[in-house]
Amino acid sequence: MTSIRVTGLRVRHRRTLALDSVDLDLGTGVHGLLGPNGAGKTSLIRVLATVARPDAGRVELLGEDVADHRGRTGVRRRLGYLPQEFGYYPGFTVREFVAYVAWLKEVPAAGVPAAVERAVARVGLADRIDAKVRTLSGGMVRRVGIAQAIVNDPGVLLLDEPTAGLDPEQRVEFRELLRELGGTATVVVSTHLVEDVAAACTEVTLLAGGRVAYRGTPGELTRLGADTDGPGDHPIERGYTAALRAHRAHGTREAVR
Amino acid sequence: MTKGNANIWHVGDDLAARYAQGVLPEPDAWSLERHVESCTACASRVSASVRGTAAGAVLTQVRDAVLAALPETSRAFAEAGAPRPALPSARAGAPRGPLAPPTASRSARLLWAAGPAVRGAWLPAVLVVAAGALALSYGAGLPGARALLLALAPLVPLSGVALSYGPHSDPLYEVAAATPGGGLRLALTRTAAVLAVSLPLLTFTGLLLPASGAPAAAAWLLPGLALVLGSLALASFTGCRAAALLTGGGWLCAVLAPVPAAPGGAFTARLAEQLSRCLDGVGAQGAWAGAAVLSAALLAARRPAYDRPLR
Repeated sequence: MTSIRVTGLRVRHRRTLALDSVDLDLGTGVHGLLGPNGAGKTSLIRVLATVARPDAGRVELLGEDVADHRGRTGVRRRLGYLPQEFGYYPGFTVREFVAYVAWLKEVPAAGVPAAVERAVARVGLADRIDAKVRTLSGGMVRRVGIAQAIVNDPGVLLLDEPTAGLDPEQRVEFRELLRELGGTATVVVSTHLVEDVAAACTEVTLLAGGRVAYRGTPGELTRLGADTDGPGDHPIERGYTAALRAHRAHGTREAVR
Repeated sequence: MTKGNANIWHVGDDLAARYAQGVLPEPDAWSLERHVESCTACASRVSASVRGTAAGAVLTQVRDAVLAALPETSRAFAEAGAPRPALPSARAGAPRGPLAPPTASRSARLLWAAGPAVRGAWLPAVLVVAAGALALSYGAGLPGARALLLALAPLVPLSGVALSYGPHSDPLYEVAAATPGGGLRLALTRTAAVLAVSLPLLTFTGLLLPASGAPAAAAWLLPGLALVLGSLALASFTGCRAAALLTGGGWLCAVLAPVPAAPGGAFTARLAEQLSRCLDGVGAQGAWAGAAVLSAALLAARRPAYDRPLR
């Protein structure tokens, strides 16, 4: 089932074109969003989160057009979003904070306490649920961010650089959680860590210069790397650079023509 | 992250036994107690373990005693001071009451929503304005303290709104913008919180100050409301910060600008006179009420703008 359908998306960020003619169809599973800095990953996630307004094109989430006010409200109840710069209220406890976001997401009041405890347990913070957020380490705050994103059991979960600040062990645990979430929801993870994609994603979308440069599975990207001798320490890293170079070479040819 | 996971993590017999004996470390015990609230299988396993310890015999005795006393319960509890059997704690050495489920009543959640609004620098600022006016009047013997307070009072809720909502002041703004309740509903909740603190506090402070020619202490309520609503409506075009600066600046210009040019008297006396022109009388108050209604109507019309992040 397709839960994210993007057609002809164009987004301007200040004076530059952040995304141009992007078409995407994403279904249940974990989708890795790769690309160099400035490729448009955050712009795409913000549009999918209904936070940024596209300049052109159509965005459908869970079968609803998000340009329509009513559709957008319905979609937002079933959306989870962890922004790249995750702000929080330091004086709140983890429980209060996640419950507050549940209130914003209009989770039915009777289900909030159980939903909060479940979300916090899923990110492994059950024993710190009544600690103030300011007493937590950076990695734990990041996990609180993931807990607030999944508190409403979202159908579409958008995570912008969720592994930043996690130590290697936490990243391994986080990938396991990602695979579990991807069983029922459409998860989009933007990252610059190619190994996260290789380990946890079912599909990869590579963005470059505001356009989709490559789409495939991590296995296909790895094989692409095995066939070329581009730079990189790992086959999937070589695949990443090869796909990026192929896209740029193609763009240059287009420009010359 | 699987460690606390309700789907994968369950209480084994060993864990249950250590919990029953009271030798489980405190954090693990908490995790276990949280888990058994939602997992029937583990709850029965832990119950069975507890019944197997010394506490089990006591529990049985208590249960029998309670069941035997049942018909007389109402009479027994009506007599004040009737000793109730204390429930023995399963965890030796760490007796505590039964874990109450977290109460998330509607009012509590509204309080969280409002919480960030009345936090940080704003609440102390309100108290400083109120205490400062009282100190000027009674400490320094300044006669025109109420005029000063009335001139500043409408700025207090305005700054509270600007400091609590919008991308510049709310750290959670980006997350809230992607939720159905993060738009106008949240802005109004926080505005209500700010008004609920500042309106009574500053009006009461004004009542304590001698009038000395200034308008009544409650005269600023309608202008205050009109400016806050006007600011929220304007924020849909310009963002909260610019809107508060514009409306607040406009108010200060209206009450302060003519004061230096006005003839005679002390500064506060001239300010009191100018404030009377702006606030006193049915005409002035009616105009402020009209402005409040118009602003509310404009805000209602501009409601969709709050659906996407403000500037």
